[in-house]
Amino acid sequence: MSQTIVELQDIVVTYRAGFLGGEAFEAVRKVNLSIREGETLGLVGESGSGKTTLGRVCLGLLAPTQGVMRFGGAPFGTLRQRRGQLSVVLQHSEWALNPRLRCGASVEEPLIILGVKPDERKRRVTDIFDSVGLGDGYVDRYPGQLSGGQRQRVSIARALVTEPRFIVFDEAVSALDVSVQAQVLNLIMDLQHKYGFGALFISHDLAATRYVSHRIAVMFRGEIVEDAPSERFYGTPDHPYSQMLMSSLA
Amino acid sequence: MSALVEIRDLVVAYDGGGGATRGLDSAELYVASGETLAIVGESGSGKTTIGMSIGRLLPPEARIESGTITVDGVSVVDVDAEALRQLRRDRLGFVFQNPMTALDPTMRIDRQMIRAIGGKPSHDAIALLLRRAELDDPERVMRSFPHELSGGMAQRVIIAMAIARSPKLIIADEPTASLDASIREKVMDTLGRLREENGASMVILSHDLRLVSRHADRVAVMYGGRVVEIGQSATVLEQPAHPYTRALIAAAAGNEKPGERLEPILGAPPVLRGPCRKCAYEPRCGLARPECANSRPEARLVAARAVCCHFAEEVVEATSDAGEARTE
Repeated sequence: MSQTIVELQDIVVTYRAGFLGGEAFEAVRKVNLSIREGETLGLVGESGSGKTTLGRVCLGLLAPTQGVMRFGGAPFGTLRQRRGQLSVVLQHSEWALNPRLRCGASVEEPLIILGVKPDERKRRVTDIFDSVGLGDGYVDRYPGQLSGGQRQRVSIARALVTEPRFIVFDEAVSALDVSVQAQVLNLIMDLQHKYGFGALFISHDLAATRYVSHRIAVMFRGEIVEDAPSERFYGTPDHPYSQMLMSSLA
Repeated sequence: MSALVEIRDLVVAYDGGGGATRGLDSAELYVASGETLAIVGESGSGKTTIGMSIGRLLPPEARIESGTITVDGVSVVDVDAEALRQLRRDRLGFVFQNPMTALDPTMRIDRQMIRAIGGKPSHDAIALLLRRAELDDPERVMRSFPHELSGGMAQRVIIAMAIARSPKLIIADEPTASLDASIREKVMDTLGRLREENGASMVILSHDLRLVSRHADRVAVMYGGRVVEIGQSATVLEQPAHPYTRALIAAAAGNEKPGERLEPILGAPPVLRGPCRKCAYEPRCGLARPECANSRPEARLVAARAVCCHFAEEVVEATSDAGEARTE
């Protein structure tokens, strides 16, 4: 049994509008989730259902209003303590990468912050570019010189270079073409085999999510209404909302 | 059925650093009146170029080098500015991918609707049009600025504008790509219903094959600036005759069984500097043979659809075998 990386217990996140309280909105209500090493949990739901909020909680970017988040079996602590252990890949790679830095420099940055020595850094950057299927030539290119799929590979390389234990993919393939999407999904699965990270795959595209995930959690109005193995989503899932999502795949 | 749009031998080039590239390489297409045609393909295949050329809505760096575009009897390539304006205003309706960039952020919806309808429409006329696009609370929508609407609502406003003057043709460029999966179907249904009420034709540009299979009568698959396969949706998508169509279907998540691996299309679409004298798909095609690199396949009829491939019969046969194997 592999170790649980991220564990959420009774997480509640409340957003308050306006000054001094105002109207409260519960974006996430009493959510329990766990993600193990080497496992991908898919998180699907419509806009405003709380997917991204939950992703931010898992990354430690947002402190929950109530509930406990544990990372690797211990309390999360501060972001500084967790440097290099978790990472994120976002939807728009053209905004996620600094347009004025060469791709190699963008990927190297996390290692500089971790205090890795220069020759070691160079080796790891070369290795990771190789792992994501980009040759040496791409290290010296600017993000603007790459296609969408190649740029997303660079983002994944940067997320992976510190060998994190947990990665959040927030709509990471939604902006890509069908054929490129398949390449990137296959890449994510291959890299997980190699590095064994746990992953949270957030998307509103059920087809891509069930392909890449081991388990899928369906979120509806801030609650997880169904949490089942992906195979369930090739047949008939239990919750009416999940069935509604499935109908768009028929 | 008569042809509403007829595109013949169209060549469009984009000027840019390092010389011109071809967006369309002798593309041919016709749209019958009353039908829904979907154009699918990867980014860079030319689907947006061909869709926008129907209204001559191409960016300034694009040049129409040769060919003809006839829309409802008007020759779009050489018509004067005033007649083109009239064509766009009275006979074409456009729905773009991102409603938030298509709407003017500084103007309330009612004022934008007045501009789309033209003249001095009454308050009720605007509300009625919004209601036809299935917006439940038109009063609130009319008072709103675009940023106060959700993506789905904004797209419905765009749809209302597109049908405001009862166009003969609606051109929808990725109409639901920026929307949530759960409302995509509903928005497409609205669009389809309004098309039918107007008796208009519709051209959908999309890379979502599932959406296309449900909402389009015919599908045109584009590659390298040409239509490489065109026919009834069910025929083309269930039994493709072009290797590229087959690869597109195999790469899309949704039809695989649990544990099955998707097959991405390796390599990238070609960047054409001039006319392509071979099969543009040849470098990426698993079935490629010497002929493919030497002669350009022309469109011919194979198994009830037009296809540009020297070996289309083999592809059809291979896919029907695979289909039978699956049903066994």
